[in-house]
Amino acid sequence: MKKWVPYLVLIVFSIIMLIPVYIMFKVSLSTPEDVLTAHPPYWIQNFTWDHWQKVFESGNIWAPMEKSLVVATLTMVVGVILAAPASYVISRMGRKWKYIFILGLLFTRMFPDVGIVLPISVNFLEWNLVDTSLGLILAHLIPNLPFLAWILVSTFETIPRDLEKAAYIDGASRLQSLTRVVLPLALPGIAVGALFVWLNSWNEFTYSLYLTVSERTLPLQTFYYINRGDFFQSAAYSVFLTIPVIIITFVLQRYLKAGQLSGAVKG
Amino acid sequence: MSRNWKRPVSVTLAATLAFSLLAGCGAKEADQQAASDKSLRVAMALSEDEWNVMRSDVLPKFEKDNGVKVEAVQVEAKDIVEKLSAQQKANKVEIDLITQDVNELYALVDRGLMEDMSSYKDKIPDTVVKGMIDVGTFDNKMLFLPYRPNVEIAYYNEKKLKEANLTPPKTWDDLLKVSKALKDKEKVGRVAIKANLEIDNVLHIFDFIRSAGGDPYVLNDEGSVKAFTFMQQLYPNLSPDSKKANWNFMNQYLATESVYLGQNWPFGVNKIVQEGGKKEIKAYSGWAGPVKESHTLGGEVIGIPKGTPNKDLAVKFAEYLMSKDVQETLVSKLAWPSVRSDAYGKVEEWQKPYFEAVNAALQNATPRGNVSYWPTVQQALLDAFKDIVVDGKPAQETLDVYAKKIASVKK
Repeated sequence: MKKWVPYLVLIVFSIIMLIPVYIMFKVSLSTPEDVLTAHPPYWIQNFTWDHWQKVFESGNIWAPMEKSLVVATLTMVVGVILAAPASYVISRMGRKWKYIFILGLLFTRMFPDVGIVLPISVNFLEWNLVDTSLGLILAHLIPNLPFLAWILVSTFETIPRDLEKAAYIDGASRLQSLTRVVLPLALPGIAVGALFVWLNSWNEFTYSLYLTVSERTLPLQTFYYINRGDFFQSAAYSVFLTIPVIIITFVLQRYLKAGQLSGAVKG
Repeated sequence: MSRNWKRPVSVTLAATLAFSLLAGCGAKEADQQAASDKSLRVAMALSEDEWNVMRSDVLPKFEKDNGVKVEAVQVEAKDIVEKLSAQQKANKVEIDLITQDVNELYALVDRGLMEDMSSYKDKIPDTVVKGMIDVGTFDNKMLFLPYRPNVEIAYYNEKKLKEANLTPPKTWDDLLKVSKALKDKEKVGRVAIKANLEIDNVLHIFDFIRSAGGDPYVLNDEGSVKAFTFMQQLYPNLSPDSKKANWNFMNQYLATESVYLGQNWPFGVNKIVQEGGKKEIKAYSGWAGPVKESHTLGGEVIGIPKGTPNKDLAVKFAEYLMSKDVQETLVSKLAWPSVRSDAYGKVEEWQKPYFEAVNAALQNATPRGNVSYWPTVQQALLDAFKDIVVDGKPAQETLDVYAKKIASVKK
C-alpha cells in the first residue's frame, strides 16, 4: 500500500509543474476563439500555426536567440574554466581556510542583483561594454561564479586524495593528476554546475535589462511581447524560450551518473 | 625539453586573447564615435505594429532630409530613468531623444535628467493642444515638448451587457446599477476599475474626484469625500480582477470575458478587437460624476536628455515629430489622436467608433498636474483608497488625515 504513495506524490507534483507549460504551448497553437473565452477547452480544439508563423516572419526572434545562446554558453564555459581549478585548490585546503573561502564566496551572493546593477552598468558604460556579449558574460559571471565554485568545491571534496597519490606514484605530475584523474571523476558535478550556470544565464533578466539597449536577449524580447505584444505571440515566444532549456538539460543529464566512484579506492 | 615550450605558449595565447578582447572594446568605441556623428538614437516604448509604422512611414523622411541615420530603440517608461541615470553618471549619454509617458515624468525630473526646453517654445506649433504643453512643464520650466495626447476609454462587452438587459453606464448611478446587476446575475463582479494600488489606480481616483468637483491635491473637500464614498459603495460589486488590473492585464480580462466593463488605454483596441477578434468589445468615453465627466490626460511627450552629443539634431527631430505630416500619419496609421488641432487623418473603418470614443474622452481630459511633492500626493491617494474603499473606514475623517499630509508638504 505504502509503495505507491511516493509515485502518486511525484505524479501529482509533475502534473502541477507541467500544467503551466502545457497552457503556454496550447495558447501558442490555438485559435483566438479557443483562448479568449470565459471557458476555454482543456485540449487544443482548433489548431493553428498562425502565431508561430507571425513570430518567424517578423524575424525579431533570431538575433535575441543568438545573443542568449552565445552569452549563456560562453558564460558556462568561462565559468567552468575559472571555477574548476579554483574549487579544486579550495577543496584541498585545510578546514579553516576552506570555510573562509567558501563563506567569502557565498557572502558576495548576499547583495541583491537589483542593488548593484546600477553601479555595474555605470562602469560598463565607461568601459564600452554595454550592448556587447562580453559585457553580459562578465555580468552573468558575477552571480554565477561563486555559486559554481561552491558546487564544485563539494564535488572535488568527494574525490579521495588517495587517487591523486596513486597517480603521483605512477609518475603523473600535479597537472596530469588533475586533468587525467580528478577532472574526469568530477565530471558529473561539473555537468551539474555547468547546467545551472547555463540555465541561470539563459533566463537572466536584470543585468540584461540594464546592459542592453538595442540588442536584447531572448528573455527581454519575450518580456517585451508579454508587455506589448498579443497573447499568442507571447505564448509562442515563451515556448521558444523553453526549447533550448529542454535540449541542454537532456544533453547534460547523461553525465549525472551515480556510483561512479565505487570501487575506486580499496582498503 | 618538450615541457618547457608549453608554458610560454599557453601564456602567449592567454595574453593574445586578453588583448583581442580589449581591442574589441576599443574598436567599439571608435565605431561608436563615428556612428554618433551621423546618427541619432531615440528611445520609445511601442508595440510591434507601432514600430512598423515608425520605421516605414515616419523615420525614413527625416533620415533622407537630414542625411542621418535614426537608430530607434525600445525602452519602457520605467526603464528609461535607470538607463539615463547610468549614462549620465558615466558621462556617456547615448540616447539623444526620448518619448515618455506623461504619467512617468516625475523620476526623470526629480533626478535632473532632462534638458530645459524653455528656449525652444517657439518650435511648438500654435495649434498644439495646450494641455499637452502643461504636462511637460515643471516649476515654470518646459522640460518636455508635446507629442501625442492619450486618454482612457471605457470598454464594454456588448453581447454580455445585452444578455443582462443593460446599457453602458453614463453616470455614477448607472455605473453602480450595472455593477450590482451583473454581480447579482453572475455571482461575481464583472465591472472592474484599476484598484491595484499603483499609478493606474491613482489616475482612476483622480477621475472620480474631479468628476465630483473635487481637487485631488486638497483631498478632503466635498467632491473628494463624495468620490471616495461612491467608490466605497461600488467596490463590493466590482470584479476581483480589479485588484490586479493595470494597463496590461485589463486587456486580458476584457478579452477572456472575466470583465465586461472596464477602462483602459486605446491600444487595447488593437490587442482585443483586431488581434483577438473580439468584435463584441466596444468602447465609449465613459461615465460622468455629479458635476462632470472627467478623464486624466495621458499620452507622451518628447524629452532630450542632458549631456546628449546631438542636441541640435534631437531638437530638429522633435520638431519633425510635432509636424502636421507626422501627426496625420500617426492618426491614419495608428489611430493616435493628434496633438495639433489642424492635423487630420483618416482612420480605418473598423477603428472609427473607437477613435470617436477617444476624441470624446479627450474633450473632458485635463492634465494630472505637476507638483514637486507628487510622491506624497500619490501615496496619500493610494493609502486613502486602501483605508476607505478597501477597508471601509469613514471617508471624511480618513481624508482629513491624508489631506493634512499633503498640506504639510505643499508649504
